[in-house]
Amino acid sequence: MATKILSVDDSRTIRLIVGKAFRPYEVQLFEASNGEEGLAAAAREKPDLIILDVTMPVMDGVTMLTKLKENAELKGIPVIMLTAESGRDNVLQIAKIGVRDYLVKPFKEDQLIEKAGRIVTLQKKPAA
Amino acid sequence: MSQTVQITDVSAFMARHLADVFDTMLSMKAVLMPKAELPSFGERVSGSAGFGGEKVTGAVYLHLSEPFAKRVAAAMLGLSPEEITGESEVNDVVGEAANMLTGGLKSWLCDAGSECAVSTPAIIRGTSFAIEPMPNVEREWLVFECGQDRFVVEVHLKFN
Repeated sequence: MATKILSVDDSRTIRLIVGKAFRPYEVQLFEASNGEEGLAAAAREKPDLIILDVTMPVMDGVTMLTKLKENAELKGIPVIMLTAESGRDNVLQIAKIGVRDYLVKPFKEDQLIEKAGRIVTLQKKPAA
Repeated sequence: MSQTVQITDVSAFMARHLADVFDTMLSMKAVLMPKAELPSFGERVSGSAGFGGEKVTGAVYLHLSEPFAKRVAAAMLGLSPEEITGESEVNDVVGEAANMLTGGLKSWLCDAGSECAVSTPAIIRGTSFAIEPMPNVEREWLVFECGQDRFVVEVHLKFN
């Protein structure tokens, strides 16, 4: 069964890059463009991993992460935060709420795969 | 420490950070052209994001010619420029690049003691427009060369 990954980012560019990174793997990718949609998608799909942006309109990533951790059914889903902000305070804040890892933009697709692969099983698709 | 941060420090940081963003996300080499004249664009795509806090406010603008913006979008999305058919893809990529530039600057300012938050990015398109800073705002232009193309990063900064 494919690993289910939810990408939550207001930037379609980043969602496309995330999708491209996981394309060689047996991954079912879901997308949401803000924290509110992300919470709904997480409740609906129960993903194995969430890749979550920090700065988004409607509901930002920190608020979504906080709500996720308050929800008994969803709090166990591991989260990798994807942020353009690498400052100490920013990293400390998201670490306190409970993320498995974080990745600072700009990032290479290989870095994302490496971090995701430490958390979930990423099986290569068979060669066509 | 914020009192010792100068616009020239910000420019030096931005020169390094932009090269990193282009190298990492686009596999493109962007080189700062010291004292280069501002390039003249035809149609321009400008991405911007603001930042603000108690001690500092400002904005970062990334100005690209439309053809170069299309090549940047293609590079970031792993497509050929011919596959980029709509303005929205280009706008989104340029906005994301501006977001990365501003996010990096925000982190650098925060680590230097000037806490601030970043806005979501915005896009301006056109052939003839100028961005005027608010009063008492310092402005710096950085001209970069990437292959045959030149583009500009404009930083506005005000310490309160």
